[in-house]
Amino acid sequence: MSISSTLGGRRGVLAAVATVVLLVLGGGLVARALTAPGPPPQPDSSQAVAAPATPSTSASGRPTPATAPTAAEAPDPDFGVLMAPSAPVALRIPSIHLATKGLVELGIGTRGELEAPKDFQRAGWYAAGPTPGEFGPAVIAGHVDSTLGPAVFYHLGALKKGAQVMVDRKDGSTATFVVDRVARYPKAHFPTSEVYADTGGRAELRLITCGGDIDRRSGHYLDNVVAYAHLVQGA
Amino acid sequence: MSITTKLGTATLGSALLLTLGAGMAQAATVADGNTMATLRPVALNGVKASGTAMVTVNGNRIDVTMAASGLLPDSPHAAHIHFGADARNECPQASDDKDGSGTLNTTEGGPAYGPIVVSLTKTGDTSPKSGLAVDRFDTAPGGKISYERGSITVSPDVAQAITDGKSVVVVHGVDHNNDGKYDGDTKSDLDPSLPTEATDPAICGVLAAAPAGGVQTGGGGTSTPDNTLALALGGGLILAAVGTGAFAARKATNRL
Ligand SMILES: [Cu+2]
Repeated sequence: MSISSTLGGRRGVLAAVATVVLLVLGGGLVARALTAPGPPPQPDSSQAVAAPATPSTSASGRPTPATAPTAAEAPDPDFGVLMAPSAPVALRIPSIHLATKGLVELGIGTRGELEAPKDFQRAGWYAAGPTPGEFGPAVIAGHVDSTLGPAVFYHLGALKKGAQVMVDRKDGSTATFVVDRVARYPKAHFPTSEVYADTGGRAELRLITCGGDIDRRSGHYLDNVVAYAHLVQGA
Repeated sequence: MSITTKLGTATLGSALLLTLGAGMAQAATVADGNTMATLRPVALNGVKASGTAMVTVNGNRIDVTMAASGLLPDSPHAAHIHFGADARNECPQASDDKDGSGTLNTTEGGPAYGPIVVSLTKTGDTSPKSGLAVDRFDTAPGGKISYERGSITVSPDVAQAITDGKSVVVVHGVDHNNDGKYDGDTKSDLDPSLPTEATDPAICGVLAAAPAGGVQTGGGGTSTPDNTLALALGGGLILAAVGTGAFAARKATNRL
């Protein structure tokens, strides 16, 4: 047996091993890409109504007369159904088969933005704001996907107007909301006031996740998907 | 004569530009001016009430929306925005009960939330002067307050304090002895013609800036570009496998 044929034999074995490794790796990647659920559903872009520029309206978005009302006292506004404060513990949206427990508390990050949950499979709520069912905009956010696959709010973009959203609360009560609209916004033009302030004078809920294309350099999605809902029943 | 006309037009033009510019500058601050307070029972005073106040700052004007429930029904509830440069800018705690009475009155809350800067009256004046204008505050029918008032003018310092999260909303009026009305021998520290029940702080919350901008809620694992990349990479690896496989086969043939 010559030296060259020994070497040739070793090369052959190496090549065979490499072939198997490459096939497994390549096949695995292709299989994952093909079986992966693909991009998450996105809301109809026509629903993304821009926030109206209303510097001269009242907090509820209703126009306010330039001069103060005269002697006659304006009647109290009707804020509809409202609940006492209680932290949310679970979220259920039957129409998109979403059910999640163990909501985490979210705070505000260094740029004033709402922080995202650290766990991709858990939704979180903005704990310094109203609890779901209280007057004002309660906010629940969740990831659309992790680095590997779908996350807790993967199906949020498929949510439709009229759908019911249930939030179970620590005191045993359930706040039931009905979806008003689902919209997608570029993060660069996020309608802060519409999402975090103006509820038109009632108890509302915002569900937030990511959408659109991903910015490869930052690793972040370029858009946010926001579902707006209002309280219809608290018990 | 024609020169005068031209000058006039130019002045009018620049005035219009200035106005537009000022308008745009104001609009830009709107998004930065959303604040919210969750109103919770004041320590020691035992009121089972709660609420939410939302204040939007727009230049030197604020819009206020507030809901509360669980208060003493059909009795005036003075409500204010408080701020003091020297205050702790928070709601009072049990340790603020300096006279050891077991309850907190408005003066004892001062070190926490400071003096009144806005009176949340339903009509008329909203300055600190109206702080105890009991005939112009919400009387909480059914124990509930539903309050909305736009375009309240404030000083630049107050506007700044609100957007900085340093102001505190306080709703007053506590029925300590649960007899359905403001009474008792202890007089208010603010107005001796009123019982202290009428002015003691009931619920309180710090107005804090609401979140601003988008949320980073995605890892990218299901985004389209990522899958295309995986497919391309996987495909490339398989092609490479075809190459090394052919090489291995050739070597095996050589040995035979
Ligand atoms: Cu006060």
